[in-house]
Amino acid sequence: MKDLIISGKMKMADIINHDKRALVLMPRFGIELGFGDQTVREICKNKGIDTDFFILMVNVFLNPNYFPDRKLKGLDVDMLLFYLENSHKYYLEEKIPYLESLLEEFKNSVDHPATGQLEKFFGQYIEEVKDHLAYEDHTAFPYVAALSEQIKSNNPNIKDIDYHIGVFKERHDNIEEKLSDLKSLLIKYFPPSDDRYLRIRLLNELMDFEDDLINHARIEDKVLIPIVGQLEQKIS
Amino acid sequence: MGKSLIIAEQSEIIRKGLVYIAEAVGLFNAIREVACASALNELIERFKPDVLIINPGMVSIESLETLKELNDGSMKIAAMVYALFDDELMSRFDEVIMVSDTRNKIQKKIYSLIDKTPAGKQKKPEEALSNRELDVLKLLVKGLSNKEISDKLFISTHTVISHRKNITRKLNIKSVAGLTVYAILNELISIEEVQ
Repeated sequence: MKDLIISGKMKMADIINHDKRALVLMPRFGIELGFGDQTVREICKNKGIDTDFFILMVNVFLNPNYFPDRKLKGLDVDMLLFYLENSHKYYLEEKIPYLESLLEEFKNSVDHPATGQLEKFFGQYIEEVKDHLAYEDHTAFPYVAALSEQIKSNNPNIKDIDYHIGVFKERHDNIEEKLSDLKSLLIKYFPPSDDRYLRIRLLNELMDFEDDLINHARIEDKVLIPIVGQLEQKIS
Repeated sequence: MGKSLIIAEQSEIIRKGLVYIAEAVGLFNAIREVACASALNELIERFKPDVLIINPGMVSIESLETLKELNDGSMKIAAMVYALFDDELMSRFDEVIMVSDTRNKIQKKIYSLIDKTPAGKQKKPEEALSNRELDVLKLLVKGLSNKEISDKLFISTHTVISHRKNITRKLNIKSVAGLTVYAILNELISIEEVQ
């Protein structure tokens, strides 16, 4: 698929038709489907979303080679946090429970002693993902919010906050390794199961989740971390 | 399980002699004879023999290669030789039986053909783990550390690590938890051995 660079004049529906990965982004910005032929700019205006921010995020999410550097200044940090927290919510409330239910079904459809172990393995993986998300939700994001608040209130007093984004950078480790193992096991090593479509559904969902997490991590690396770095400089 | 054999030879006296000697090996539950090459392919397709003993005069290099493809390539082919044949052709057989061979020697040759069969059948894929890698994998999924594995197998930790790298590369599984599932799937360990 050819990379599409999004602009404000494009119709939102065209973007989703061009790249289905844009679909999951809608709820993360609080955009509901059913927007007819409205353009990106129109929808953002109605929803009170900064259009430049929306365009930047979609471009980073859809295109691994997109470098947003020069557009980061003046970006609304609260909007970014809103987006990131919504992404996490989607993983925790929608994606992970669905994956868990598919795996449960798979376990019941395959009569093999290894399925118990697979479930255990999957459980460990989900715990890792949840730990990672919880760390960001409860430690990293509140820090960024407090930082942004202090700058807005013109009361830079960073010493109150015992944290800096470098820690986040270090902790932002790969949680994709286990997912890749899960895929190998399901593609290459499990014996044929009774319900072949279930297995394909499960694999599809796993790969979809994997993609989403990779794109999400790119947003954090290319947008969140540099922005917070800039904020930290302002204060120190 | 009994093996099956086809003997393809024009000369009745030699064919019957081979049947006699092969019966005495005691490994075959079916021995079939054929006197001309024309019916050979069909016979092989039908009976899927483990071993074919054939007069090299009945094949060319091309037709021999075709024979090798039959039966999923698992059939061993020996030449029954009592005349001079092209070296190139002879080198393509799994075994060569000479008309001057003693009964004992012929039986040994047939034995060794059968012995080779299982290994030939399994024909390890490139990505299969070596025996040493399997040893490391088994201990690894039982929860042993690199150091413990090296002590147990009398190899250096460096070697353990390089085995682990190869295991991961071949299986495309990195985590110990993932390898554990693999080990159970392939019956390398039992569920009870995993805590």
